[in-house]
Amino acid sequence: MTVNGVRRGGSVEPRRTLADFLRDDLELTGTHVGCEHGVCGSCTVIVDGRTVRSCLMLAVQAAGREVTTIEGVASGGGLGPLQQALQDSHGFQCGFCTPGFVMQATAFLRTHPDAREPEVREALSGNICRCTGYQGIIDGVLLAVQRSQH
Amino acid sequence: MTQIAAQRYTGTSVKRSEDPRILTGSGRYIDDVKLPGMLHAAFVRSPLAHGRVLAVDVSAARALPGVVAVLTGADLDTMTVRGPDPMVTFIGLGGSGPDYSLLATDKVRFVGDPVAVVIAESRYLAEDGCELVEIDYADLPAVADAASALDPGSPPVFADLGSNIIVPRRRTELGDVPGAFAAADRIAEFHLDVHRHQNVPMEGRGIVVSPGAGSGQLTVHVATQGVHVARNGIAACLGLEPEQVRVLAGDIGGSFGLKMGASREELAVAAAARALGRPVKWIEDRSEHLTASGQAREESFDVRAAVSGDGDLLGLDVAMVIDTGAYPVAAGIVPATIQMMLPGPYTLPALGFESTAVTTNKASYISYRGPWASETFVRERVLDLLARDLGLDPLEIRLRNVAPRTSPPFMMVTGRPLIGVTTRESLELVARMADFPAFRRRQAAERARGRYLGIGVATFIEPAPGPRMPGAPSVMGTESMRLRLAGDGVLTLFTGQMPHGQGHQTTLAQIAADEFGVPFEQVRVVVGDSDLVPAAMTGGSRSATMAGGVTLHGARQLKAKVLDFAALLMEASAVDLHIAGGQVVVRGDPDSAVTVAEVARRAASGLFGAAADELEVEASFDGGESGWSGGSHCAIVEVGVETGIVRVERYMVAEDCGELINPAVVEGQIRGGVAQGIGAVLLERSAYDQDGNYQSGTFMDYLLPTACEIPRIEIEHLETVPLDPDVNFRGVGEGGMIVAPPTVVNAIEDALAPFGVRIYEQHLPPARILELIAAGGETG
Repeated sequence: MTVNGVRRGGSVEPRRTLADFLRDDLELTGTHVGCEHGVCGSCTVIVDGRTVRSCLMLAVQAAGREVTTIEGVASGGGLGPLQQALQDSHGFQCGFCTPGFVMQATAFLRTHPDAREPEVREALSGNICRCTGYQGIIDGVLLAVQRSQH
Repeated sequence: MTQIAAQRYTGTSVKRSEDPRILTGSGRYIDDVKLPGMLHAAFVRSPLAHGRVLAVDVSAARALPGVVAVLTGADLDTMTVRGPDPMVTFIGLGGSGPDYSLLATDKVRFVGDPVAVVIAESRYLAEDGCELVEIDYADLPAVADAASALDPGSPPVFADLGSNIIVPRRRTELGDVPGAFAAADRIAEFHLDVHRHQNVPMEGRGIVVSPGAGSGQLTVHVATQGVHVARNGIAACLGLEPEQVRVLAGDIGGSFGLKMGASREELAVAAAARALGRPVKWIEDRSEHLTASGQAREESFDVRAAVSGDGDLLGLDVAMVIDTGAYPVAAGIVPATIQMMLPGPYTLPALGFESTAVTTNKASYISYRGPWASETFVRERVLDLLARDLGLDPLEIRLRNVAPRTSPPFMMVTGRPLIGVTTRESLELVARMADFPAFRRRQAAERARGRYLGIGVATFIEPAPGPRMPGAPSVMGTESMRLRLAGDGVLTLFTGQMPHGQGHQTTLAQIAADEFGVPFEQVRVVVGDSDLVPAAMTGGSRSATMAGGVTLHGARQLKAKVLDFAALLMEASAVDLHIAGGQVVVRGDPDSAVTVAEVARRAASGLFGAAADELEVEASFDGGESGWSGGSHCAIVEVGVETGIVRVERYMVAEDCGELINPAVVEGQIRGGVAQGIGAVLLERSAYDQDGNYQSGTFMDYLLPTACEIPRIEIEHLETVPLDPDVNFRGVGEGGMIVAPPTVVNAIEDALAPFGVRIYEQHLPPARILELIAAGGETG
């Protein structure tokens, strides 16, 4: 598979999840596992352009596909525009759910570059944050939309 | 973003220095710790609520390739020192503590009780091993609720206690309780229930224990709110001196009172790693977390209220029963704090209070954000119920009963001075935010169209840390900090605070930068290493005052020391020097500037005959005058009377936590707490059936609020009259969670007033709303 633009391979048991493969085998620990049953969204990654719960996908199912994780969102180790907007809006607290939200919002904004608040809320409603009450996250995504239009 | 004083970081929403790492996936959480040769643990857990363990056969599991060890409760009993839970050691139990083993030996006491631990080369293999452990149980009748536990005939959860009562009924009377009830125009009686729900941080518990090769020191990486709490608990359990255990913690994925780093599972992993001589990791999965990490808030209250015809609350008489679950830890502190806080900011002149704590076959009752929160629910619910009976507006009954701000301060009947409390102001402010008269008009118009809107208000005070008592040495003990200026000009703060989302690495740096006189970026905050930081913990909303205060005073002390050195260096008098922008300057002579880095390098050079480490201070702070946090919240809800669905349309907060360090961080704490409170009312429940089977083991059963259920939360700040010359920051971690449940329930009852609905409980999912409407229609 291609992970963040780099070809990566490995031999794994059929039962190994994509999340565990990314975290343990490739040591890309930015993808967090929050529930292991596809509800919380912390482990969200992008596979061939679409968001996937990497706890519910097997590593072997990702063979030959293009995977983007949180580590691949911004180049050069800095913050991308969405991440910067999320920091500017005090989006997060403990940070555990954060990579999943960033991946979900990244994929969403590609298809909804001028999204408004109700759509943003709906789009992020499959990701759970226990710390923030969501307002800073929503505001950060809306700020990224606003900045992209200037 | 709030701009308060352009020249200061304190009071402005400085961007968090934690964010670049968490936004790029570069955080280091417990599951990211990977050590050479590391093994993985998984637990075999009881499927029964209550049962006798007849036999444990681990032979098949031990034979599985990849499994390194299987340890039973009996094995661990020989490897560890029995003793109370570290939190019990810390806070006391209030009654007779039962004796029990780390993992179950003779009996299992709740669904999820750990019975054995499998250690294997991978987590997958460890879980395979768990499947092969054969346990014979004899089913025992479950004690599934407090009523059963109070029955003397119920099977004892702990044989050595003889009954299921941990702390027997205790009664206290404060003020003239019989007199209050004799003088009342009206006496109302209610039974109120608060349901079991739980913390649910997005990261569960977890630990990696590495036995030191040769040194004998155990290195423990753990998700905890305090590395020393974890260290002391682990050392005591393993029969080691605290210094033989080094506890490290990185980023913590939330906690809300859960993570103390020395739970039964974590202690078992520490014992296993020590016995095996290899690092062992355990990461709690979500099912384990929901089932076994602990739950909170299961209390019931019989309340008698004495009230005048005008709505003066003359007395309350409250009998509480707390269901502490199995392996009790909260039996003492929760009832005591509930009693102390029950009068709230009101003049209430008489309080009768009694409480009983029981043990049951459910997960342990643990601390959860505002552990005493049920007192606010009871008081604020009772006020609304009384107001409705008397035909008073909910604001009116509160304003009528709020204690005046007098000098000397009004004393709560439970003995604490209500100094600097701004309840009246916050009630009036939140009422203006909501525009009550306009809402009442809209409510009436919508009701005529068949839409049911309601408004609810509730108020709270939070001892964060609480007022200084005359003659008492301090409010919350003392907080320590080590501060050091290094040759690169970086001011480093070593704090025992263990942030798990609160942003201490930002907020403490703001205070230090202002007080010391360096740019914010020049301050580093070191946390999470029991060998490096002073003993403390993050919890109880103590950080703002205690850690904020020690940062301020410590920076002041270090600055004086730096200026003394600089005075020698610059041949000036220290009183003529000050530090600004990282430079020491002679007042009135900007050309004299010398960087603090230069001062530190020269100090280290021994030029002044001083040791290199002398630009370091150990500071401590006793809380100063401290004070209360508090505020009033208001919710506007719409109840779908056909569906039972409650939508929170607006949520407004008038908050007073004294001087704000970082308004965006404060508002994040409030909003997060309110979201948990909304979840507690509309969604969340740790449900058990009558046989003690746990019903909420997945996120399909334990429902958490999402971005679609939580409205924009509007916040206005009040700043209390300053009480202390320097430190007027107060904690704000718990208030949102404390007061949101009564705020929302009060709003729901208001919406359903046309149906005659009265609400005596806290959990109101759609099915329950429909039941209430149906029952209200029959009686109302």
